[in-house]
Amino acid sequence: MSLSTALKTGDVTLLPSRRDENWRWTDLRALIRDLPAGADAETVGYDGPFAALGGQERVWVNGHAGGDSQITVEAGDRVAVGFRFISTRPSGNASRVSVRVRPGGRLVLLESYEAAADGAIAAVDLDIEVQDGGRMERIVLAADQAQSITVSIAEVTLGAAAAYAQTLLTTGARRQRLETRVAHPGADASVRLDGAYLLADQRHADLTTIVTHGGVDGATSQLTKGVVRDQARGVFQGRIVVEPGADRTDARMGHHALILSDRAEVDAKPELLIFADDVQCAHGNTIGALDKEAIFYAMQRGMSVDQARAMLTTAFVGEVIDRIEDDGAREIARGWASRQLEGAGD
Amino acid sequence: MAAVKETVDQVGALEAYKHGFITDIAQDFAPKGLSEATVRFISAKKEEPEWMLQWRLEAFERWLALEEPDWAKVSFPKIDYQDAYYYAAPSQKEGPKSLDEVDPELLATYAKLGIPLKEQEVLAGVEGASRYAVDAVFDSVSVVTTFKKELAAVGVIFCPISEAIREHPELVRKYLGSVVPVSDNYFACLNSAVFSDGSFVYVPPGVKCPMELSTYFRINAAESGQFERTLIIVDKGAQVSYLEGCTAPMRDENQLHAAVVELVALEDATIKYSTVQNWYPGDPVTGKGGIYNFVTKRADCRGDRSKVSWTQVETGSAITWKYPSCVLRGEGSSGEFYSIAITNGHQQADTGTKMIHLGANTKSRIISKGISAGKSSNTYRGLVSAHPKAKGARNFTQCDSLLIGKDCAAHTVPYIEARNGQAVFEHEATTTRLSEDQLFYAMQRGLNQEEAVALLVNGFVRDVLQTLPMEFAVEAQKLVAISLEGSVG
Repeated sequence: MSLSTALKTGDVTLLPSRRDENWRWTDLRALIRDLPAGADAETVGYDGPFAALGGQERVWVNGHAGGDSQITVEAGDRVAVGFRFISTRPSGNASRVSVRVRPGGRLVLLESYEAAADGAIAAVDLDIEVQDGGRMERIVLAADQAQSITVSIAEVTLGAAAAYAQTLLTTGARRQRLETRVAHPGADASVRLDGAYLLADQRHADLTTIVTHGGVDGATSQLTKGVVRDQARGVFQGRIVVEPGADRTDARMGHHALILSDRAEVDAKPELLIFADDVQCAHGNTIGALDKEAIFYAMQRGMSVDQARAMLTTAFVGEVIDRIEDDGAREIARGWASRQLEGAGD
Repeated sequence: MAAVKETVDQVGALEAYKHGFITDIAQDFAPKGLSEATVRFISAKKEEPEWMLQWRLEAFERWLALEEPDWAKVSFPKIDYQDAYYYAAPSQKEGPKSLDEVDPELLATYAKLGIPLKEQEVLAGVEGASRYAVDAVFDSVSVVTTFKKELAAVGVIFCPISEAIREHPELVRKYLGSVVPVSDNYFACLNSAVFSDGSFVYVPPGVKCPMELSTYFRINAAESGQFERTLIIVDKGAQVSYLEGCTAPMRDENQLHAAVVELVALEDATIKYSTVQNWYPGDPVTGKGGIYNFVTKRADCRGDRSKVSWTQVETGSAITWKYPSCVLRGEGSSGEFYSIAITNGHQQADTGTKMIHLGANTKSRIISKGISAGKSSNTYRGLVSAHPKAKGARNFTQCDSLLIGKDCAAHTVPYIEARNGQAVFEHEATTTRLSEDQLFYAMQRGLNQEEAVALLVNGFVRDVLQTLPMEFAVEAQKLVAISLEGSVG
């Protein structure tokens, strides 16, 4: 049951609905009556958000790969690659890509979702493998059209002592799900999964993560933040599974959201499923409005109420952005986020 | 420290499940299985009016159309609903006029459980000791309710629900099923069709109930299910504190307990509902037997500024499926949920709460402490939601899980839904094992391992124990220690 299978077969009954526990807040079945046909490949004449960083780039337009759908980083190599998933037509398209980082290799993946056409439905499946001692950082900027639908699912497999870090930033879409599933072997591998959703109007974004710790000595750190206003809806589902015997696991999960209007909504499900006893696992979840006292304080120092709110909101999201390791990508992400937050203080 | 000492003594002195005896008592059963005839039989046995029978039959019809839920993190073989007795009652020609007419075996059962049924005994107790009225439910029927007269003097009605259906139909008709609708869920629907007894409480406006009310449930008969129904209505400005205790004999087959508890709090009313659930958990080694505890408990804070507080100590049952909830409808109403859930052996518990904020400025607080040991599994599942109209809603949730041993599991599955910008929700959860440093420290001071575990666990759950009424707090503390017996070493 997935969007990509539904797109391939044209069968809407294969779409996940809110009756599926994992999709209860992101119902595709009720939303999509007909699946649009695919569209041809096109040439795109504009740059993606990470263009300023240069480096190689792979582009998928309407589900058509502009090159090899597979990338391998050899042992000892350091590579930065851009992946752009673009829908130029109100079409249905499914893309699949696989990424492999060999032992000791290093990859910075700069990924962007650019639905340029309202009504586009896109499914992207990423198959990521970071082998022993490999490092990978994935930074995603999802800037879809208000009426588009995107589901991106990344399956991540890690080797011993591998390091995987990820930051997803999104402005949502009509329905959008960015899901990450990590098979964590323990074995001194480390995982950082961060995200921020900045939503306005009637947009929706769903950040879902599943991290399964299968062995001893694994660490996971997660921080997700959200800012929603108007009638937008933010969803966070985080699940950490610690399998039997996966001792000395250290897993932390935080989700914090600001609701800036009366009609916006945030739904969260931070789950811990623990089958081993020698573990340290914790999650925290807060949802609320901006702190009135902090606004008062800032105003007392001479700011307008809008400035004060904008500053506090930017600082709130900034904590996620600060954790991006790649300097260039971090500053692009910071600029991108602050542009999305313009007007959040109104 | 006296209580801690007592805990330690208990650990040393007691066998695993002390309530596991069977009382050999003459009993009336309904024919085995579940059909419309069973429902009619129960209704006739209870001499119920026609409207009640119709209500039950409607529930039965709906139940046939429902499917057993399977979303909880518990697994058990499919229940054959036709292979159980739905009504078992101690044989008696007529209801007992006084305790002297009650089967002495039955009285002995309650004496063994340490529950005072004789008012004079209670009255003769230590001066200053708090008194509490008891409704004792044995299998399907209420056998005795104490202190009825004294309660009636202040207008409080405390009686078996079967009696309330006959004596106070206006109240029962108005409120029964108004908090947990007949077809709310599979087990509540089954209960609505076949419930046999339970307690009914009505506290009139402005009255503070002069004593603690309590019900002790006992499943005794083999192959029978227990389906009690409790309805508590607290009128404007009134207050009540209600305690509930449960035990069952040790049997190799599983028995079903599907209860429904409905609480209604009107304006400025306060209800405190405490449970010490100690149904037979099954054999700790083989996992054989034990009670399936599938219970629906919900409070409706209907009036402004009403308050409901649930406290539960869950140590028994092979499987627990239970989510005492609060619907915070009245403006400024508040709900609390304090829970200790302990699983050991092969027990499985999926329990938690729902706080549904509908009214403005509603508040809720959830403190859940889960402890898993042996090969057990313990899940906290909770929902906190704020409706768009629940401006100023606030929730604080804390879920802590403690793991003792390699083969147990602890899960936390909270759902949080905030639908307005003026709700503030905070949630935190931790899962850890018993600290080895602390254990070492306690053992270095002369405690053996089991005593040290009991001490540390009692410390872990202290926040919740403190909210229990005195008599229950002591009992609960002992239970905590007993439940964890054999979990280490």
